[in-house]
Amino acid sequence: MAVYASHNDLDRMGIIPRGSPRQSDFMFVAGTVTKKMSQIVRRVYDQMPEPRYVISVGSCANSGGIFNTYSTVQGCDTFLPIDVYIPGCPPRPEAFIDGIIKLQEKIKNEHFRWSRWR
Amino acid sequence: MEPIEIANKLKEKFPEEVLYIKEFRGQVSVTLKKGKILEICRYLHDEPDLYFDYLMDLCGADYLGKKDNRFEVVYHLYSIKHRHMIRLKAEVSENNPSINSVMPVWVGANWHEREAYDMYGIIFNGHPDLRRILLPEDWEGHPLRKDYPVKGPEKEWPGFLEVLDKAKRYSEFEWHG
Repeated sequence: MAVYASHNDLDRMGIIPRGSPRQSDFMFVAGTVTKKMSQIVRRVYDQMPEPRYVISVGSCANSGGIFNTYSTVQGCDTFLPIDVYIPGCPPRPEAFIDGIIKLQEKIKNEHFRWSRWR
Repeated sequence: MEPIEIANKLKEKFPEEVLYIKEFRGQVSVTLKKGKILEICRYLHDEPDLYFDYLMDLCGADYLGKKDNRFEVVYHLYSIKHRHMIRLKAEVSENNPSINSVMPVWVGANWHEREAYDMYGIIFNGHPDLRRILLPEDWEGHPLRKDYPVKGPEKEWPGFLEVLDKAKRYSEFEWHG
């Protein structure tokens, strides 16, 4: 949330929060994912149209964090394909922006994905 | 009123229900039998000197192996008018893990009792909607019991296995390898 505020602004990276997964390009999974919630996170991911990317934010979303318990999913990469992981507990806003820039570079470096010329 | 006075007053009124009173650093906890818990709570709520109108917390406790009665339901009561608090502990045994719900006295006990049911398996008689609140509806087991493994039982919850299965099936259609 601090990342959207004025000190580190995400709008200048070209990121606008959208209200619906159907209209968005990427989603980030922030916070601990429980097994009950994993069904819903997967459903939101399935609703996004391609091209879609996922950023996993924070140590709990990356790998379960310090919670190795009965109800915590040990990393949301068990059920989602993830592009960038942002470590930290909680991650600093600068780390967040760094992760987003990494994703932007990854997108720029995609060659010949759609056809021989794009 | 001083906490000890409240405990003694309760003991005078219900002598056979109160098992023992413990005091530690100014806090008093009264251990009771679970039979007349609703009557005791109503008395504490209505009595003008005591007037415990705020149920701060209701939780369960598991004393596996340490006590005869395995579970306890702990009530933290506070009086906003008189500014005193007391702790009640009602002993619940394992072979009949049920106790009367105190919802008629404090309606806010609703979700706390659902949580105690979810985590310990203590059944509250008279509760209008006793079902799991934190865990998924079809979860098996009661996690905060002492004999439940921290990392979860061997058998995984089927809902999560479905998510993993779905992810595996859909990964075939993923747009980048």
